[in-house]
Amino acid sequence: MGKKRRGPSLEELLARPWCYYCERDFDDLKILISHQKAKHFKCERCGRRLNTAGGLSVHMSQVHKEQLSTVDNALPNRSSLDVEIFGMEGVPEDIIQTHNQRVLTQFQQAEAERQAETGNPPAGAGAGGQPAKKPKLESVSDLKKRLAEHKAKKAEALAGGSSGEATPVGAGQTPTPGYVNATHSPARRQPAVLIPQPYGTASPYPQTASPVYPSFSPGAQQQFSAPPQYNAGYSPQPFAGSTPGQPYGATAPAFPPQQPQTHTPPQSTGAFPPRSGSLPTPPNLPQRPAMPAPPVNAYQMQQMHMGHAPPANGEQPPPPQQQQQQPTEATPIAASVDDLISGAAKQAEAGAGEKPKGEEKKKDKSKQGRLVYSDNETSPEEKMARLARYAYEPDRRGETALEEVPAAAVVGTIRETDTVVDATGS
Amino acid sequence: MASSQFTVASPPTDAISALRFSPNPESTRIVASSWDKNVYLYDLRDENGAVGEGKLLQKFEHRAPVLDVCFGATEDEIYTAGLDWDVRKIDIASSTQTVLSTHEAGVRSVVYSKEHNLVISASWDSTLHVHHTNDPATAPAVIPLSSKPFSVSLTATKLVVAMASRALHIYDLKALALLSAQSEGEGSNKIEVEPWQRRESSLKFMTRSVACMPDDAGYASSSIEGRVAVEWFDPSAESQARKYAFKCHRQTADDIDVVYPVNALAFHPVHGTFASGGGDGVVALWDGIAKRRIRQYQKYPSSVAAVDFSGNGKYLAIAISPGFEDGKDDVVEGAVKIFVRELGETEAKGKGAK
Repeated sequence: MGKKRRGPSLEELLARPWCYYCERDFDDLKILISHQKAKHFKCERCGRRLNTAGGLSVHMSQVHKEQLSTVDNALPNRSSLDVEIFGMEGVPEDIIQTHNQRVLTQFQQAEAERQAETGNPPAGAGAGGQPAKKPKLESVSDLKKRLAEHKAKKAEALAGGSSGEATPVGAGQTPTPGYVNATHSPARRQPAVLIPQPYGTASPYPQTASPVYPSFSPGAQQQFSAPPQYNAGYSPQPFAGSTPGQPYGATAPAFPPQQPQTHTPPQSTGAFPPRSGSLPTPPNLPQRPAMPAPPVNAYQMQQMHMGHAPPANGEQPPPPQQQQQQPTEATPIAASVDDLISGAAKQAEAGAGEKPKGEEKKKDKSKQGRLVYSDNETSPEEKMARLARYAYEPDRRGETALEEVPAAAVVGTIRETDTVVDATGS
Repeated sequence: MASSQFTVASPPTDAISALRFSPNPESTRIVASSWDKNVYLYDLRDENGAVGEGKLLQKFEHRAPVLDVCFGATEDEIYTAGLDWDVRKIDIASSTQTVLSTHEAGVRSVVYSKEHNLVISASWDSTLHVHHTNDPATAPAVIPLSSKPFSVSLTATKLVVAMASRALHIYDLKALALLSAQSEGEGSNKIEVEPWQRRESSLKFMTRSVACMPDDAGYASSSIEGRVAVEWFDPSAESQARKYAFKCHRQTADDIDVVYPVNALAFHPVHGTFASGGGDGVVALWDGIAKRRIRQYQKYPSSVAAVDFSGNGKYLAIAISPGFEDGKDDVVEGAVKIFVRELGETEAKGKGAK
C-alpha cells in the first residue's frame, strides 16, 4: 500500500469508546474504565476508586459520612448521579446520538480542511476531480507594505544599490514574447520601470539564457521582472490547474498587488523546480516580514514540510514560501527551528521547575520539596504586620483614655507651630 | 460536599488571625480576631436555639489588627492581643475595653488559665506578660523569653511557649502564678522565671502553632514545613521516646512536593484527637496516640488560618483566609470565611491502635 494513511476513518472514530462525563475518547474500553475510576469515581477523601458514581456515593456516605452530590471533573450538564455509567454502559441513547453527530461533523470538517489544504482528493475518491484549493489571499495592507518595500528596493537598485550588484548570477532571463506585452500593460506599472534595463543595459541582470526555465530568475531583481514573465508562462486565470510545473510560484512574494484575486500562489510552489545553490539570501531577507503567510497555512505548511509543529514561543515561523524559494537555506532554517523548539522545550522545562512562584526549593530527604512559606526566621504574621495597610498609627482616630495619646497630641501641636514658623520664615 | 457543614454569617472582611470557641460545653459562641482590626463574636444558635449559620452578636473595633483572642472566666469576657501592642480585656455585656498591659511590640498570643486566673500574653518583644485577673489593679509581671514567641498554649498546669530559633519553653503555671504574684510589690515587674523545661523543637523549621492535649499529658506542634510533632511533658526517657513527628499538608505536583505550613492545631476536648489546618486549605483529624489519621476534609478554597473545637466537641470551626503564607496577596472580598462542621458522634474519635 503506497498511500500514506492520514488518519483514522470515520468508522474507526465512531467506534472509539468515550467517557460520558467528560466526552474524552479512548483507544479501548479498558482505558476508558480506568479513566472513569481515576477521574470521576475516585473518593476525594481516601483516594479509593469505585466502579460507578453510585458506588462512590454509597462509599462516601458509609465511610466518610458525606453526601456525594455531583460527579467530579464532569462536564456541567453531565455531573448528575442519576445516570449509572460504567464504561460505555448506561449512556443514554440521545447522548450517544449527539456524540456521534459531533464526531461526524468534526470528521467531515477535518476532511474538508485537509482537502482544501493539500489539494488531495478525498479519501477513497478517484484522482479525477480537481478539488478546489483554498485560495491564499493577502490582505490589502500586506500587499501595500510589500509594494512599498519593493519600490524602495527598486529605487536602490536603480541607483546602483548594493542589492542589485550583489545578486549573483543564479539564473538567467530570456526575453519572451509575452514580455513586450507586459511592459505595456498598465497594470504592470512597477515592472515597467525596471524592465527596460535587462534589455537595454543588461548590467544587473546577466542574461544567461536558461532553456529549462526561461522565465525564472531568483533574487530580488527577479521580483521586478517577474510579472511580465508570467505572461509567457501562464495566464492568470486558469493557471492553478493548467500549469502545474510552471516556475511562476517562485516569485510569489513579488506578485504585483493588482493580482491577488486570481492569484493562488504558495500552494503550488511545491512544484517549483530546484534552484542553483548559489542563491543569495540577503536580497530576500528583508522581505520576510513583508509577506507573512496567512497563519493557518504557515502552520500547516510548516508541519507538512518540517514534519513538526512550529516553535511555540511566539516567534513567527518563517513563511513557507521562503523555505521553498531558498532551498539552500532549508537546512539552516530547519536547524534554527529545531533550535527554537528545543529552546522552547527547555524554557518549558525550566518554567515547570520554577512554576511555583519561583520560591526557594528545599531538599526533603529524597524528594524534591518546595516550601510555600520558606522564611524560617520571620513568621507570616510579622510579615503581614509590616505591610503598610496594617501599620499601626497610635493617634489615628484620637483614641480616648490612653496614655500615649495625649503625649502624641502634644508632640503634634509643637510640630504644627514649627511648621508655621517655617512658613513665615520662608 | 458534606451536608453537615455551614458557613458563619457576616465573616470578617480581612484575614482571620485566631478563632476560639467558648470553653463552655453548652455554648456555641465563637470569637474571631481579624486583621481588619475587629474582634467578632458569633453565636451559632439562632433565637430558637437551632444551630445554623448563626449571627454576629457583636463586633469590637481595635486600633490595629488583632492577632489573638480568647475567652475569659465567663462567656462575657474576652481577651485580645494585637498589633497596637496592647492586651485588652473586653466585657461583652457592657462592650467596654480595658487595656491590661502594653508590650513593646505587637502581641502575638493571649491565653487564659481559669485554674489560676491568669491571662498570659506573648509578644514579639520577646516577653510574656502575666496578668492576675483577680487583682486587676496591679501591673502585670514581665517574663523575658529567649526568642520571639510564635504560639502559646496551656493546659490546667502547664504553659507551652513556642518561639523562634525552634526554642520551646514549658512553664509550670502554679510556679508562674506564684512568682509573678510575688514580684508585684517591687518597682520593676520584670522577673526571670526559669521554665520548667526548655526544649528544642522536634521540627527542623519554624514552629507555626502549638496546642496542648486536654488530658495535660503533652502537646502537638506544627511547623511551616508541613509537619506536626507530638510530644509528652513527662521528661522520663520512656515518655520522651514516644514522641514522633509526621508529614502532612503536602501536595505533589510534577514530582515536586509542595509543602504547606501547618497554620493551626486544636485538640478535641473529649476524644483527645486533634485537628490540623494547613496552608493547602486542608483540615485533617488525627489520632495522636494511635498515630493515625482519622479523616481529612475536603480542601477549602484557601489557606486554613485557624481551627477550634467547641467546648463539647460537637463542632469544629475552621477559619480560612487567603494569602496567609506569603503575607502579600490582597484579600479578595468574600474569600475570608468561617466554616463550622457539625461532627458526628464518633467522627473525631480515634479508632484505637492497630
